[in-house]
Amino acid sequence: MRPGRRADLIGLRARAFAHAVRRAPGRYLVAVTLMGLVAWGTATLVDRGVRWIDAYPQIGTIADAALRRSVEAFVTILVLAVAFSVLTTAITTLYTAADLPLLLAWPLSAERVFRLKVFETYLASAALPALLTLPVLAGLGTARDAPWSYYPQAAVAVLALYALPVAAGSLLALLLMRLAPAGRVKEVATAASVLLAAGLVVGLRALRPEQLAELTPEQFEAFLAGFASLDLGASPASWAGDAVWGGLSGSVSPALPLLALLAWASLAGLGRVAAWAYQVGWVRSLDGTMRPRDPGPRPAAWWERPIARWGRGGAVVVKDLRLLMRDPTQWSQLLVLLALAGVYLVSTASLEVEGQRFRDALGTLNVAFLGFLLAGVGVRLAFPVVSLEGEGLWFLRTGPIPAAAVLGAKFAYAMPPLLLLGLGLGFAQATLLDVSANLASASLVAGGLAAVAVTGLGVGLGAAYPRYDATQAAEVPVSPGGLLYMTLALLYAAGLTLLLAYPAWTTLADPTLPVWSTPAGRLTGLLALGWTAAFAGGALAFGRWRFLRYEAGGD
Amino acid sequence: MIEVEGLVKRYGAHVAVDGVGLRVSPGEVVALLGPNGAGKSTTIRAITGLLRPTAGRVRVCGHDVVRSPLAAKSGLGYVPDRPYLYPKLTARELLRFVGRLRGVDDGERRADAWLEAFGLLPVANELIETYSHGMRQKLTFAAALLAEPAALVVDEPMVGLDPRAARQVRDLMRAHADRGHTVLLTTHGMDVAEALADRVVVLHRGRVAGQGTMAELRVAAGTGEDDLEAIFLRLTEEASEATPPWAVSAGDEPARPGPGAGRAR
Repeated sequence: MRPGRRADLIGLRARAFAHAVRRAPGRYLVAVTLMGLVAWGTATLVDRGVRWIDAYPQIGTIADAALRRSVEAFVTILVLAVAFSVLTTAITTLYTAADLPLLLAWPLSAERVFRLKVFETYLASAALPALLTLPVLAGLGTARDAPWSYYPQAAVAVLALYALPVAAGSLLALLLMRLAPAGRVKEVATAASVLLAAGLVVGLRALRPEQLAELTPEQFEAFLAGFASLDLGASPASWAGDAVWGGLSGSVSPALPLLALLAWASLAGLGRVAAWAYQVGWVRSLDGTMRPRDPGPRPAAWWERPIARWGRGGAVVVKDLRLLMRDPTQWSQLLVLLALAGVYLVSTASLEVEGQRFRDALGTLNVAFLGFLLAGVGVRLAFPVVSLEGEGLWFLRTGPIPAAAVLGAKFAYAMPPLLLLGLGLGFAQATLLDVSANLASASLVAGGLAAVAVTGLGVGLGAAYPRYDATQAAEVPVSPGGLLYMTLALLYAAGLTLLLAYPAWTTLADPTLPVWSTPAGRLTGLLALGWTAAFAGGALAFGRWRFLRYEAGGD
Repeated sequence: MIEVEGLVKRYGAHVAVDGVGLRVSPGEVVALLGPNGAGKSTTIRAITGLLRPTAGRVRVCGHDVVRSPLAAKSGLGYVPDRPYLYPKLTARELLRFVGRLRGVDDGERRADAWLEAFGLLPVANELIETYSHGMRQKLTFAAALLAEPAALVVDEPMVGLDPRAARQVRDLMRAHADRGHTVLLTTHGMDVAEALADRVVVLHRGRVAGQGTMAELRVAAGTGEDDLEAIFLRLTEEASEATPPWAVSAGDEPARPGPGAGRAR
């Protein structure tokens, strides 16, 4: 590249992306179609919802104000999510990116290079929340017959608003890179972002919005009035709200240019600060050596020995457990699981139902819900376990260990947390809802069987469609294989729900009947077992077949 | 012993390896040479079971790598060109894992012996992510040799090693062969191949361009020169009329040849 000539860095990225699309057009087509469907569905849902509210003019301005506060609350939650996730993203894109040394060696100013990096950080952390928000605002616009000028205004407001958490989170990451223990900044950032995100999810659920259903109409009206009069003060979220609502009536709020200016200044300032910090070596926690450990002999830990007796598969399980304990991108998945369990338990505990029959009916619904919940957890816990071998796969591929033993080890590694969750939640819902004995046992059966099936599906399909290039567990399911897993896991959960409908229906008819000892009950149990074995076993066999045929690229 | 017969590997229309045959006997060190893209790594990956051959047969210690992979891999030690090791394990933990995977009885003792031999004992309890490239390369050798494999396959052994470690690795490969085992290595270092290998196999465009001892290769190349580099260049000669960029100045006039101009690097 000739000095003085402006290098089109974003154009370079766009060309690389175009090449990637050309190499796998089907994958991108599926992704774009899915995103389009989600966007269309969201916009339609919001449009219908707003039209429904507007059909009752007697609710008056309170409804409009409450709607505005709801949109602001939704956007604020996404803003917080962006701020949490950008902690780890910023470290990767701004400071440890593999192309940084190359770009900085080119005849370009460091500020320009870091402006590109800030843009990448923004895309990586704010693109998804923006894609979730824009259809909501589009639905609002169509429902209110907004003028065409509303749409660009709303888009600018949202895109500018999300720039602020990106800048704030990136600056916090910069601070961490100075203060975190040497060589541990990624771990600290990941732990901080996951804990904050899990806290946010549990905190939101702990508000127990279902309490609203217990309010009298007068109390509800008072609540609505209070909510509508909530004032966020001179905050960016309220400026975005002003811009969107101004756009709906065809006017341009002065808050919009203010917000856009603030966003531009934040991102530009971040670029300058990041360039300076990188060049003067301010980010000392990124590198550096850790305190040396005692070099003396260290025998195998007490917990390793019983597992290692299982032979080669045991060796893989021990290795995976060690990596789990030391890699925050892995153990943080367990925190997500705990947060989900917390949400589930809070939801179940909040259900106050009178009468055994109603409790049993709710218990039946929860049995169905348990399968779907475990399917969702499995995509984070079981599906990535084979891909997490990453570039270390050569140890297993060149070692004397059969593919079946590798998959068996991965199954044994992923199974305990899912089984604990399945049985634990099954027991908890039966106890909290105080359902009949038949349904209590059905809950446990559903939890246990779903855990087995979901683990088998996750490990098998994860081996069949691996992503060994993924940098962390959360990236692995973002693939056609992940989509196939979710489809099959939901199909399994639906089938299990249908099978367990028999004991549920029988219990509703006669709670005292010992369902499982009747021939029909035993047949139901056998069918549920077979259904589980077919999904888990089929996926594992398919995964083994594909794992054996997997080849990394030649020279 | 490593035996490769008529090995073919195709990726769609592209033929990476086309009918390669080679044999490495016990007690022998064989160097696999070739320009970039000649098919060296593909051949190595087929021997280690990382790739399935399109045609042909690969046997390690008498066991077919495709039909009896476990038996073949039991006798195989492998050092890849990029020593990726689990960064969140310590060296001791990694060698313990490899020992269990390969069913080594006295793995702990052997691991300590190899760590000491490579000077890694003082950092044996540190996470591998804190190691330099050379330290990782040494640890990869320790992992490959832990089970005293009958066949050692090494892809680019000297990359990232300091002169002392490079010498140590060269000596240990020779010693491994002298104990009656088989060593197959790929390298771009002609000096390494010349000093260490009993025989040399030169691959070019997926085919064997020549193989044998130095004396046999000299005959095959039809050159009276002694040095392996000259033989290698002759065997892999490219018919290219293009002027290389380093021979052209900014004004498109031929530059004066500098030191090393025209020599393959």
